Amino acid sequence: MKVLITGMGAVSSLGVGVGTMFKSLLEDTSAIRHYPEWAQYQGLGTHLGAPVPEYDISRVPRAARRTMSRMSEMAVVATGEALQMADLNIGNHVNSPRVLICMGSTTGSPSTMETYFKKLFERGGPEGQLGTNFFKVMNHSVAANVASALGFRGPVMSPSSACATSAQAMIMGWELIQSGMYDIVIAGGADELHYTSAAVFDIVQAASRGYNDRPQQASRPFDQARDGLVVSEGAGVVILESEKSAQNRGARSYAEFLGGSYFCDGTHMSQSNASAMCEVMNTSLDRARIQASAVEYINAHATGTIQGDAEEAKAIGEVFGNRVPVSSLKGHFGHSLAACGAIEAISSIKMMEEGVLIPTRNLSSVDPSCSQVLHVQEKRSTRPKVVLSNNFAFGGMNTSLLLSLP
Amino acid sequence: MNHAEIVVKVNELMHRGFEIPEDKLTPTATLFDELGLDSLDAVDMLVHLEENLGIKVDAQKLVAVRTLQDIYDMVESLAPQSQAQGQLSH
Repeated sequence: MKVLITGMGAVSSLGVGVGTMFKSLLEDTSAIRHYPEWAQYQGLGTHLGAPVPEYDISRVPRAARRTMSRMSEMAVVATGEALQMADLNIGNHVNSPRVLICMGSTTGSPSTMETYFKKLFERGGPEGQLGTNFFKVMNHSVAANVASALGFRGPVMSPSSACATSAQAMIMGWELIQSGMYDIVIAGGADELHYTSAAVFDIVQAASRGYNDRPQQASRPFDQARDGLVVSEGAGVVILESEKSAQNRGARSYAEFLGGSYFCDGTHMSQSNASAMCEVMNTSLDRARIQASAVEYINAHATGTIQGDAEEAKAIGEVFGNRVPVSSLKGHFGHSLAACGAIEAISSIKMMEEGVLIPTRNLSSVDPSCSQVLHVQEKRSTRPKVVLSNNFAFGGMNTSLLLSLP
Repeated sequence: MNHAEIVVKVNELMHRGFEIPEDKLTPTATLFDELGLDSLDAVDMLVHLEENLGIKVDAQKLVAVRTLQDIYDMVESLAPQSQAQGQLSH
């Protein structure tokens, strides 16, 4: 059974809306900025982040909005765009057991957690806590708030696999539609920028510290001078739909979701592992019934870390050799954590649509440890028919998915 | 705080904290039916009242609160022991 993408929505550091976001990519924009105020946090070496510009959440009623942190708000806006693009009136499916909302985040809202625990410790107990706070920090906050904003009363699930979350949500959606369980899956993920998220990577020496005074040059996937990732935020949502459902609705299809897989490497929580990456890419090709030779562009996860980028280049080289163009978008967006899988899949679909490959930003000099693949260093006019997108996460979570034009 | 000051402070809190239009903030307005609040809002309202008006409210007292006038009266009964603390901080 074919699974199509009939809608896409993005709230990203490069703009709100898929069109705005892709225009910024075409213009080679960096969303990364310096946060001098982060210098107050003892031991935090990275002072860089890539925030989402202003978005409008005012149309959502207060009763739904009161339990939303920033990540849920962004997810609601992205879902609204995706539904609109899909011409899908969720009101018609409000009680449908055939429609699933499947989206998550790395954790609950870190900014709310900070507020909550600060007060908890100051007061020695829960006195003075807002009743709405818990709904911003619970693990399924994003999915539940999106459902609440839509008035959706059908099935909801909330996968959480850190930086692979939205990729996993999409692959799970593909699996569930393939199984015949659902006709439509609203899949994605969201995360919000907070210094504690940056600190997670800073503590394990994976965040960029050397470019605090040159933010536009920070986040340098595969580059010799890379020194770590820059944390971003955002939300990415796609509407996955069975071909039959799309045909019955007369819906336009933007891409076909060919398949994918999500594996845990089972060996290390934080160190990337090329052989595990190979395994997830090969399994994804098998599940999509696609030969490696059919893939014409690879959107790498490559976040700009020393080890992760080298392992991914090695893995891609082993599976595909050096003939497939490869680029990472982390130099533009930063790393939007749970959102990046969907945001990068959407960006890859736009590349296919527009017939252009976006190069890796800040890749001036390819590091010898990353030289096994064909890097896209300048914008390239070509229309790949099949693309593969990788996303890897702490916990040893590896995902790979394949897309084509419909 | 005198009664008039309490009315201003509570109304400001209800408007800014819960986005209730100012023209709906009449003393006889019922919190749940007319102003659209619910039990979750009531918990947050309690926190806002305590933090912005410097009072300590026994949550049990909220059970008897029905209208905005009931809020004014409750705050007035508690306010003499404390002072208003300025802007809404939610």
